[in-house]
Amino acid sequence: MSEGERISRREFLGAGSVGLGSLALSPVLLEMLLAGTGCSARGDRALADFMVPEEVLKKAVGLLMERRASFADVFVERAIVDLVESDDRKINTSTRIEKGVGLRAVKDGKTFYAYTNSFDPEQIYSTARYVADAAAQGAGGPEGKVFNLVPQDSKLAFPITPRPSEVAVEKKIQMFKMLTDRAWSADPRVVQVGQFMRETIRQVNIATSSEKAVNQTLCLTEFMASTHVKDKEGSLQNGFDMRGAYAGRDFFTGENSFETIVDTSVGRAKRLLEAVDSPRGVFPVVLAAGENGVLFHESCGHGMEADLVFKGSNYKDQIGMQTASKGVTLIDDGTLRFMPGSYAFDDEGTPPERTVLIEDGIQKSYLCDLIWGGKLGMKSTGSGRRESFKYPPIPRMRNTFIDKGALSKEEIIGATKRGIYVTAVGGGGQVDVITGNFMMGVGEAFLIEDGKITRPVKGATLSGMGIQAMKSIDMIGNDLQIFPSAGRCGKMQSAPVGFGMPTIRVRGILVGGNGEAWEDKEGGAR
Amino acid sequence: MRANRDYMDLALLAVDRARKSGADVAEAYISDAESVQISVSNRQVEQVNAVREAGIGLRLLKDQKMVSGSTNELSREAMRSLVADLMRKVPFHTADEYHLITGKESPALERPWSTYADAVTYDPRIAEIPVQEKIRLALRMEEAGLGFSPKVSGSMMVVYQDSTSFLYLANSNGIAGWFPTAGCGGGAEMAAADGSDHQSGSHFKAVALYADFDAQEVGRLAAEKAVKMLGAKPIASCEIPMVIAPEVGTEIFAFLAGMLSADEVQKGRSLFAGKLESQVAAGSFTLVDDGRRKGGLATAPVDGEGVPQQTTPLIVNGVLKGYLYDNYAAKKGKTRSTGNRSRGSYGSSGSIGPTNLYLQPGAAKPEEIFAGIKRGFYLTQAIGIFAGINTASGDFSIPAAGFLIEQGKISKPVRGISIGGNLFALLKSVDAIGADLTWFQSLGCPTFSVAGVTIGGVAS
Repeated sequence: MSEGERISRREFLGAGSVGLGSLALSPVLLEMLLAGTGCSARGDRALADFMVPEEVLKKAVGLLMERRASFADVFVERAIVDLVESDDRKINTSTRIEKGVGLRAVKDGKTFYAYTNSFDPEQIYSTARYVADAAAQGAGGPEGKVFNLVPQDSKLAFPITPRPSEVAVEKKIQMFKMLTDRAWSADPRVVQVGQFMRETIRQVNIATSSEKAVNQTLCLTEFMASTHVKDKEGSLQNGFDMRGAYAGRDFFTGENSFETIVDTSVGRAKRLLEAVDSPRGVFPVVLAAGENGVLFHESCGHGMEADLVFKGSNYKDQIGMQTASKGVTLIDDGTLRFMPGSYAFDDEGTPPERTVLIEDGIQKSYLCDLIWGGKLGMKSTGSGRRESFKYPPIPRMRNTFIDKGALSKEEIIGATKRGIYVTAVGGGGQVDVITGNFMMGVGEAFLIEDGKITRPVKGATLSGMGIQAMKSIDMIGNDLQIFPSAGRCGKMQSAPVGFGMPTIRVRGILVGGNGEAWEDKEGGAR
Repeated sequence: MRANRDYMDLALLAVDRARKSGADVAEAYISDAESVQISVSNRQVEQVNAVREAGIGLRLLKDQKMVSGSTNELSREAMRSLVADLMRKVPFHTADEYHLITGKESPALERPWSTYADAVTYDPRIAEIPVQEKIRLALRMEEAGLGFSPKVSGSMMVVYQDSTSFLYLANSNGIAGWFPTAGCGGGAEMAAADGSDHQSGSHFKAVALYADFDAQEVGRLAAEKAVKMLGAKPIASCEIPMVIAPEVGTEIFAFLAGMLSADEVQKGRSLFAGKLESQVAAGSFTLVDDGRRKGGLATAPVDGEGVPQQTTPLIVNGVLKGYLYDNYAAKKGKTRSTGNRSRGSYGSSGSIGPTNLYLQPGAAKPEEIFAGIKRGFYLTQAIGIFAGINTASGDFSIPAAGFLIEQGKISKPVRGISIGGNLFALLKSVDAIGADLTWFQSLGCPTFSVAGVTIGGVAS
């Protein structure tokens, strides 16, 4: 396998016509989803506001537990996805409405799971019985315990303005006409423009055998712009940029504005036409602050997810050990406002936390859900996530970033004799957690020559071996930026995630490219 | 699993509802699927996920404007509400004369599916076999890997998966029919260790017939790949010939298929534009998309919009002969659809994609290909290939693993390097193609070699 970050250009473009369609937000449904909540999780909401009545949830939990399971939960979800897409100067929308109830029973560390598309109590009960029977595997008679449900409260809120229902379809399409024209008129070499905005609203109810009840609604807005340019010699290049946030369109201003994203995609495409082939070999790589945090999501984040740790990832048995250079602190935080990996409760009802994974180079923790955390003898870090009711939760990253250090960006670049300066990810990344062998595609980068940023380069990829690469970080900047990414992490299931980092220099990463073979001029790659 | 007459009726009802609400043409696509996913770890079941799911996707055309939507709520009420929502939005869409919903000239679904048995690969056993037996199969898959060698240290992922779907398609041009489709398979990712050296190996296989799925082979091959990689080291940057393993070849073809989509070509995003009838690959290179391949995993009577699937030669003896089309791209390109509207689920209105895509095998035995190479690289694993190829320019730099070829033989394992080049140049430099056509899901490839590749590695 190898957990993959599926944010390739193709996939993003494809997502318009393929995946999550969109919705003519059915006003009734939308109002129900957003009624009075401002898209937040509010513990003071009565159980009466749940999508499935309290007694049905209780009975379903009871049925799941009846054959002596150790844990069970019921996950009710209703989701609407509204997509506006501009491609080849044509603007279209699509709509997707889904609902379902996922039922899980855990016994002796084994998970049994099924779901139904129906909210009809009898359908829910029969699915629960099916799961309980599968888990019992013939053993154990009815237990008959009665479960209560206590609504959980959270201080975290993810208000959205404006609400998607407050913006008419024609307004959205008008906005896309402007954005499309903006890209087409930016340069005579533009040959194709693709953009999309996806608004996903998910209302989730969770009821567990530990007697928790959660009601949460989240609205994720994502925007992506892709621009193709072609020069007189027939060289074709593509530039790309994106943002995603648990917020309404009011969030997308300044450096996160749709206009900025469109302009950035054009600028990147144009620079690629002038770029030289990237040098190859092991030499210093300076990663710009922000979205390049994808590198650490791949190089070490996946290896620290409890299921993969339990099964023998390269981070197994590393707590208390040095897994990165001194000065490196790696954090995974599910509480950051707006950021795509945040929530008031994870998908098994646990509040998220700020988890310090590496502190000053020393491994401190892993990312745990209830089941895999339990197998490691660790508490859930609120990292149990699922794509939808169609999947049982697994440990996942949220917003993963390296904390800031002391140096300025200028000091780091100035101290580098020869290397590359990477400013944007391209196409995502992947990791093999057994060996720790990871990779990240590069969307935009420049040469560093004698401490100065010079020409743009194209076609670079970065790869390395997890812990070894983390120990080769030798400079950390003071300019931490957390990037509201529209990237989706694709570990069997898709999940929105955020990334961040300050400017950082790494010495032990392999740069792939079609240019000259380079060595580390400063003497000995780490 | 059986066909459900109610779903055919519901598809027709949705089409009728859309017409009555003012749509010029309407299409409904219902999938009713049953699937099982079982993961095992440490010789025990880890997770069993059993699912039955149905949903509908609608496409409505009005005044040359197309709108699409989907839902998994299959009540008449939900249908009415979805149609009303779509009709409300369609006026704001961009009119496009090339939108087209399949007409009666495509008769593939007129008769019961069993009369198209040659175009359907449906094994009813996949859904009938009890979950307990599939669990045993998954456990055997892992056992075959764990028992392969004392150097195998564990499994990271072992999964059995199957899916059986009944697909119902109806449109207001008079198409109404259904057919079943099924597939099963599994994947294993195994770890091997020798002292502090850890290596991984993975293998996946999916087939159309339950009896064809050899779970033990999947486990064993994953373990064998991991063990063979023990002791892997980077090599120095250089330029040398490269032999490509079938598995990696199919990953490359998946990209190629995207660039050969008529939609990408027409929209100026593919460098294959304007290259019809010109030499784009070596003379020995013939790439075919075969939507009717007997027993193929992607074989079906019709594509996602009801056009019969067919056999489409894309590159023949190195010459570009055609692109992959759906209705839209075909109308725009003044030609006929090749039946390549690929639709992953009811929730997707689809886009152009390959069916069973393969590189035609040559005559050479794989060992003969290696025999001609004094020093080269045997590519067996591409890491993050989706992020390593620039689909616009064809330039690639891909972190890779494999083996050094020395004096005509596979020698030491290699990890920690990257390969670089350009896909268009690579196709032209293919110099040998093996006879060992191997299928991975719906993509097939024999072992083949290219004259040279740029290796990025450690300092020499």
